[in-house]
Amino acid sequence: MGQTQSYQPNFLTGAQAIMQSLVEQGVTTIFGYPGGAIMPTYDALYDYQDRLHHILVRHEQGAGHAAQGYARMLNKAGVCMVTSGPGATNLITPIADAMLDSTPLVCIVGQVRGNLLGTDAFQECDVIGMSMPVTKWNYQVVDANEIPEIMAKAFYIAETGRPGPVLIDITRTAQSDKMTIPFEYKSIKSLISYKPRIDPKAEHLEAAAKLINAAKKPYILAGHGVLISGAEQELNDFVDKTGIPVATTLLGMSSMDADHPLYVGWPGMHGNYGANFLTNSCDVLIAIGMRFDDRITGDLASYAKQAKVVHIEIDPSEVDKNVKADAPVIGDAKSALKALLPLVNKNEHTEWRNEFRKYDEEEYEKIDKKDIFHTGDKITMGEAVHMLSNKTKGEAVVVTDVGQHQMITNHYYRFKKRNSIVTSGGAGTMGFALPAAFGAKVALPEREVIAIIGDGGFQMTLQELGTIAQSGLPVKIIILNNNFLGMVRQWQELFHSRRYSFVELQNPDFITIAKGFGIDGHKVEDRTELSNSLDTLLNSKTPYLLEIVCEKEGNVFPMVPAGGSVTNVRLE
Amino acid sequence: MLTTYTISIFTTNTVGLLNRITIIFTRRRINIECLTVSETERKGVSRFTIVIRNENREFVEKLVRQIRKITDVLAVFGYLDDEIVFNEIALFKIATPLQGESIDVKTINLDWNAKVVHWGLEYVVVEKNGTEDEIHEFYSYLKKWEILEYIKSGRVAVGKTEKGLVAYLPEGNWEIV
Repeated sequence: MGQTQSYQPNFLTGAQAIMQSLVEQGVTTIFGYPGGAIMPTYDALYDYQDRLHHILVRHEQGAGHAAQGYARMLNKAGVCMVTSGPGATNLITPIADAMLDSTPLVCIVGQVRGNLLGTDAFQECDVIGMSMPVTKWNYQVVDANEIPEIMAKAFYIAETGRPGPVLIDITRTAQSDKMTIPFEYKSIKSLISYKPRIDPKAEHLEAAAKLINAAKKPYILAGHGVLISGAEQELNDFVDKTGIPVATTLLGMSSMDADHPLYVGWPGMHGNYGANFLTNSCDVLIAIGMRFDDRITGDLASYAKQAKVVHIEIDPSEVDKNVKADAPVIGDAKSALKALLPLVNKNEHTEWRNEFRKYDEEEYEKIDKKDIFHTGDKITMGEAVHMLSNKTKGEAVVVTDVGQHQMITNHYYRFKKRNSIVTSGGAGTMGFALPAAFGAKVALPEREVIAIIGDGGFQMTLQELGTIAQSGLPVKIIILNNNFLGMVRQWQELFHSRRYSFVELQNPDFITIAKGFGIDGHKVEDRTELSNSLDTLLNSKTPYLLEIVCEKEGNVFPMVPAGGSVTNVRLE
Repeated sequence: MLTTYTISIFTTNTVGLLNRITIIFTRRRINIECLTVSETERKGVSRFTIVIRNENREFVEKLVRQIRKITDVLAVFGYLDDEIVFNEIALFKIATPLQGESIDVKTINLDWNAKVVHWGLEYVVVEKNGTEDEIHEFYSYLKKWEILEYIKSGRVAVGKTEKGLVAYLPEGNWEIV
């Protein structure tokens, strides 16, 4: 008799398993950059191009921020794929940003061959160790068989509970080896060691409702959790019934129509006068899906001490972290608001709502009016954003970088449509906006996506103009150029006796740069041309860059000086 | 006033978890007095016992919540000393040269509840179990000899309740080892 032939089924390689896992997870888009240690996976990707749309960025940081913009629009994990060593380290900034801003990411990172681990091999770095403090979860795969389960776990952890970034480090050998078991992708619905609570406890809800019903001057701070859980309608219903004024945090912006009669603006260092000041007058403070960041509270010792605090939050470690909660409600914002609605009484806090108006009026007189109807030679950032808001009817997706223009945008853009802001809040990452706007546009090509960026931040990731040009997607880019690192300059002016230490920039010709990348654009300096310029930008069917030359030494007000009390608001 | 807190952390058995846990302490500049990692009576469950000293109970509570947030952590408890039964183990290598004063095994056994676990040529190794204070006192007693080496383990501790480990873990099939 002949030799026994053992049956050798055609098992997938680890790299194919990564691709197949992504397809079965429902992923359609990958932002990435190839390199040595991830090459087997890029080779497998070659056969998956019909199912997985890979976008080649120009720098790994761009991949990360683009995946963030994508994730923020769709509320599902953005996927990025990079190589080992510098590829991985370049991704650390977006990962840290995503961690602070609760953005789901799945980062697939190549690693050197398994037998080289720990040998200081070419392009080896301990990315697990490095990313540990800034990931929700990370894992190193050394065995191809593990891939389907680990991928499923990665998406589950990234997207559920308080979302966050997950990093999977996969050795080159785990990518190139064949699995020894059949591929099977089972999406994960629960983990024994990780059980985020969605539905709040009944006693928590009752305690919260009791405080809310007894309140004479209740005040809501709506945060990013409202957008993440998709609770905009629930928030609206809750507010319509209870008549409670609402401020939205920087990341919670657009969770409520800016023209809603109960919308009072935003709290925080550069937030609105009344929204800050009256925090210390309310009797019940209802925080929804927010974490009392220091940029919101200022001096904690004098923050809302008179108020009882209801804190609706999915992450238990945030409750009592900065501000003590009298009625904590652990759960998802949507589920909590839905469950609270029948427990709260119908009310109208007209008088209390009106208290905000006098602050609004003073703020308008002292700040908005001067910005919008500026008579100086130069355009102000405020008038540009105000005009943009009117022209887009507040319906665009606005992606901002970090600095003065960011605060101005949130001050003047009147968001009318839900989930329309993408900004780097917690980390304050300059260079965020251009790639993030691109990612947002990839996610929702039917929406107008406008990146508003300062001249400093733009130069941190401007190479992504190449990615945008290659995609052809009509991302609209506005540079508010004041030739300064404006926010630092403002602080130096106000708190360091105008000692302008390294904040003035000699800028390139941004329009020539855009044209070099194949992107149209023009520069506007004259106020009389601003309106037409914005029209040209908005009407463009291709990517477009508008550089608006702004007042050089404009300051952002209101301002609560760092560590100051929310009642200590400077208007000028 | 500094209070001693014992933090018991139950986790799945995962590579790198020790790092993830200690980061939470180092980031907040908290010195770990001692740390013990051990298996438990349930398959796949590890137990970290970490001792810290801190003035602020609220701070420790926040720390416990941050540890609980780690995805591979099953349960975390912060204890005061009177809420746990705890012990440490110390080994002393004592020089016993021929001309020197010989050690008093009877006193070591009966008065100090310790024992000689190894007789070497011109040295002995003495083992002492007990609380940190007891070990410290014993150390003072042994000082009349030359102490060649002294080492003490971290604390191990169990809570003073009638509940078993499974009562603290999330619902699941926790197979006994």
